[in-house]
Amino acid sequence: MTKPVSSQPSTSGLSDIKGKIGQIPIIRRNSFVHGYLSVLVLYALFLLPASGSPEAVDLSRILLFCLLFLVWAIIIFTDELKSEKLKTVVVFSIFAIAAWLFYRYSSARWGEMGFLFFNLEIIQKAWPTLVEGFWTTLFLAVCAAIMSTIIGLLMAIFRSFNNAVLNVFIIAYVDFFRAMPIIVLMMLIYYALPFMGIRLSAIMSGILALGLNSSAYVSEIFRAGFLSIKRGQIEAANALGLSAVQTMRLVILPQAFRVVIPPLVGNYVASAKDTALASSISIIELLKAGLSQKSLLANPSPLIFITVLYLFMFVPLTRFSGYLERRMKASQRQVRL
Amino acid sequence: MSKMSDPETMIEVVDLHKRFKDLHVLNGISTVVKRSEVVAIMGPSGSGKSTFLRCLNRLEEPSSGHIYIEGVDILAPYIDVNRVRTEIGMVFQSFNLFPHLTSLENIKLAPMNVRKISKKEATERSMALLEKVGLVDKADAYPEQLSGGQQQRVAIARALAMQPQIMFFDEPTSALDPEMIGEVLDVMRAMAKEGMTMMVVSHEMGFIREAADRILFLADGLIVEDGTPDQIFNQSKHERTIEFLSKIL
Repeated sequence: MTKPVSSQPSTSGLSDIKGKIGQIPIIRRNSFVHGYLSVLVLYALFLLPASGSPEAVDLSRILLFCLLFLVWAIIIFTDELKSEKLKTVVVFSIFAIAAWLFYRYSSARWGEMGFLFFNLEIIQKAWPTLVEGFWTTLFLAVCAAIMSTIIGLLMAIFRSFNNAVLNVFIIAYVDFFRAMPIIVLMMLIYYALPFMGIRLSAIMSGILALGLNSSAYVSEIFRAGFLSIKRGQIEAANALGLSAVQTMRLVILPQAFRVVIPPLVGNYVASAKDTALASSISIIELLKAGLSQKSLLANPSPLIFITVLYLFMFVPLTRFSGYLERRMKASQRQVRL
Repeated sequence: MSKMSDPETMIEVVDLHKRFKDLHVLNGISTVVKRSEVVAIMGPSGSGKSTFLRCLNRLEEPSSGHIYIEGVDILAPYIDVNRVRTEIGMVFQSFNLFPHLTSLENIKLAPMNVRKISKKEATERSMALLEKVGLVDKADAYPEQLSGGQQQRVAIARALAMQPQIMFFDEPTSALDPEMIGEVLDVMRAMAKEGMTMMVVSHEMGFIREAADRILFLADGLIVEDGTPDQIFNQSKHERTIEFLSKIL
């Protein structure tokens, strides 16, 4: 009795689906997509407001155009039957439309862009100062990295002794410098300490603030590195008669360094980017050099130039640290297998 | 104290206790191990076998009692524990090879840095030991490239490189696949034949029957029985021993 009842709906469901095969929904049909596109073109030609500043034009008409265009793009992207080539064209058209709308309605002085942003004559004049700023930035970054590595490593080693009192001080240090905004720390060192008679040069203050901040992170990174080493490693070293210092130098550190290098490089890059904060205590590093030359020459080209320079320095470095991290993870997986 | 002066006595343990907070792991162990003796330590899990062994080279600090190695009280405050450990080779259940070093580097690390022998001499000695454990061709392989049995043989060679008087084995074959146990036990048999003083925590009945001079049977942190393999395996009257052996046989 129950068998036919349960089998009947499933057969009728199957025939239902069969009846629909071969019918493509309206929005998936090519004629619909092409028609939609021609509506968009007509909209752009006749209904979009004339170019002008954003305050003056009819924003709602622009927004409606964007919305319609995005719906069209989504229809194509969600269709598995559309070719990859078409989808690639749509991606580029999204960027092109965005750029075109920005160009049309931002009311920027596009004609003068070469003179204002990419003025080689101005950059030539600013060049000596910018180069000096670049070296100062590099000097700050390298000194802060060296300082933070030494302090951070020592703190992590002291932390590994697991002395309760020592730990309280180290944890307080790490908490303090991780919580403290670098720029506040710089101002404290450069503007507040002189009242107490502690006078440090701007460069020294900058290095100190960057290094202290970074050292808190570095010590945590090294600590994690030490913790990643298995107890058996230390026991094996002890059983062989290696002293505590030898165990640290020959067994723990070489293994910890491998674990630690990817996050360490990432930290150096982050710290190097923070050197721009040193401009706030009148250090002529790259940003300050660019700003001063912009004011002096009344042209923002130096700022554009240093932006490009920052990108050229840090894009490869961030890529590199990402690569190290991926390689680290891959090798860990191998060891576990 | 008379035993201490006996040159045949290698290890003497007197009333050894070990407590972890409220947990009494060792409850007064006393025994003597003679030179060239091979002593197997057996017992149910949690009986204190590993802790006992680890107290003898002070990887664990005993709570009370005395340990004399070649007549020297190694718990005395003036003792350099690292010096003591150079005389005792230790092989662990989980091998504990240094993963950043090759087999050869693993073996010569301690002789070069603790014994301060030259790199050339250390390399020669290490290669000889690799030959002894049958792994000369794996000298430049890293631990992760070796099988468990090969890793454990390198670990044995590493311990032997310090030319210790005594060798401790803490369940050396427990982490190995069955087909690799034999190659490790072969190396250990050869060492026993050469007259090495050995203390072995293991349940490898075949090996113990053949190579061990004595068995210490531990339960609840005490030596329940102490006798030859024949006495323990075939003639034991002790309830705990019989019950345990019936489970592992």
